[in-house]
Amino acid sequence: MNRALPEMLHCLSGPGNGTDITVLERQRTRVKWQHQEQQNYFGVFLEPSQAGQVGNFQDLVGDGRCGSVLRHVVTHSVKPDPGLENGWPELGRYELPDLGFGSAVLMNGSAAGFEMNSTITRTSSCPHTEAQVAPEAKGKVSEPAEKMSSTVGRESYKKRKADKVQNTKVVAEDDAKDKRSKVCAEEGESKITTEQTRTKNTTTHPNNRETSADTSRENSKASEVQKPDYIHVRARRGQATDSHSLAERVRREKISERMKYLQDLVPGCNKVTGKAGMLDEIINYVQSLQRQVEFLSMKLATVNPRLDFNIEDLFAKEIFPACSANFPTIGSSSEMTNPAYLQINPAQQMVACCGLEMGVNTPDLMALRRTISAPVSLPETYFDASCFTQLQPPSTWDADLQNLFNLDSNQGRSISFPSQPFTGSIEASNLKMET
Amino acid sequence: MRNPSLIKEEFLKRWIIALRRCTSLKKNMNILERNKVVKLSADLAMASARNGTTSWSRALIANATRDNDNRILAEQILGPESEILVKRVSTMPFKTCNRRKIRSKRILKRSCSSAIRRVRKTVPRKVLANCIAKRLIQKRTHILKSLVPGGEFMDETTLMEETLDYIAYLRVQVDVMRSCTYC
Repeated sequence: MNRALPEMLHCLSGPGNGTDITVLERQRTRVKWQHQEQQNYFGVFLEPSQAGQVGNFQDLVGDGRCGSVLRHVVTHSVKPDPGLENGWPELGRYELPDLGFGSAVLMNGSAAGFEMNSTITRTSSCPHTEAQVAPEAKGKVSEPAEKMSSTVGRESYKKRKADKVQNTKVVAEDDAKDKRSKVCAEEGESKITTEQTRTKNTTTHPNNRETSADTSRENSKASEVQKPDYIHVRARRGQATDSHSLAERVRREKISERMKYLQDLVPGCNKVTGKAGMLDEIINYVQSLQRQVEFLSMKLATVNPRLDFNIEDLFAKEIFPACSANFPTIGSSSEMTNPAYLQINPAQQMVACCGLEMGVNTPDLMALRRTISAPVSLPETYFDASCFTQLQPPSTWDADLQNLFNLDSNQGRSISFPSQPFTGSIEASNLKMET
Repeated sequence: MRNPSLIKEEFLKRWIIALRRCTSLKKNMNILERNKVVKLSADLAMASARNGTTSWSRALIANATRDNDNRILAEQILGPESEILVKRVSTMPFKTCNRRKIRSKRILKRSCSSAIRRVRKTVPRKVLANCIAKRLIQKRTHILKSLVPGGEFMDETTLMEETLDYIAYLRVQVDVMRSCTYC
């Protein structure tokens, strides 16, 4: 039974190595294994070697508390399985409060020469934290599995202990009570809660490129916690554990993660690997974009001697409802300041075009739209009245243009967008009534 | 990820406002002035759209308001919010303390490079290749820092983030300008 999980994992992985297993299969096997292990341990306890303590233990188990008895229980640990080492320590840490002894065993089971005290203090979480995290822990089986599949390397306990020592130095709130255990419990809890939110974010926004990149930053490193000042790092197997190299590794991984995002953003970066090549591509791209901007601004300056941009032109760019809400206000304000400036009775036209998207200029607008050959990303929000969708890739511009034409054909109706969050149409219709 | 069309709308709106403000100041401009106005207004439009959240936007605004001749124009462009923005930008203490860091870094680099030159002959090939690769990366990072506004005072990780944001902004700018020229 103790070998069940690794065997299952190996069976699933087949010819490849363990990382080829899908997350779901891993998760399933792990859950099965856990159940089996739990049953195992109950069986183990009935062995006569430490009956009294076993009785104690069972009481504790009944109460759901881990205590010093765990120390004894843990001596009956399962033989460490090398195949599990990559995943189990982490899983054990995450499962910590819920499975109690099970997790302790898991953690113990994965490393030889393992020191009880450190982990026991870790497992002896306070009941309230257990209670808090327990309901969430079940849901987190999936997350650790995900995390594990996303982390690159393996992790080991020896490193973890050294790491933990470092962490306790780093973390500021050590001095509360039972220092290490409390810290570890909190660390575990905060890790779990933050990881939960993080995995949610990362799964829903796979290409999240927010500059406040908490989620993107933490995604590749499973053990990084978003605490305000300190970053908790897990050392990988076979790598140095001093704080400098750990910090260095964290930094490197952050950079490499951002390089990945940049790879998606910069065209032609996929073929190049390595930092230097990608940096080269990025530099070229930024330079070309800047040159384009200069060229276009010069062109605009020559084409438009007065630097006036027709609102019609802007409508032709199909940046509709949001701007339409604002252009009436712009028009009115600038009318007040420089009446000579606006030439095309823009207010009326704006309003006419705004809420209804038709009116006097429709044929002109249609012509303008057809002449647009530039890659303009059309707002799907306009077409999809029910919700605001994501931006479609440039390949669907034709489809958008088609939609526009279809929409134009329905000239008679006054389009109302019931679910539009912008009050653009309402404002526009108000303005129309005023004018 | 922020919706690019929303970004475009935002940028366009601000740009148009800024341009109108500029042209209201001075009716007849020659081509160079216009060029400058167009660029400046576009830059400031986007920078203000970011509202001081990103470093490059702050640097843009800071650069624009630093030169005296541009300053009035820039403040006009930014409009009533300019005071708030400029205050926020100036309170960011990113320049002064980093100058010292940069100076000390340069000194350190010089001393290191001289040490490396001494070591280079006796060093095995693998390490040498590593050194060369590092050098390349350093050079390119330096170039990138000069390209991204305000990039010289950043460390690598923030530089990457800022580059991402800046690339997105440049793209939006190019798209909007291109479609404006086609109309």
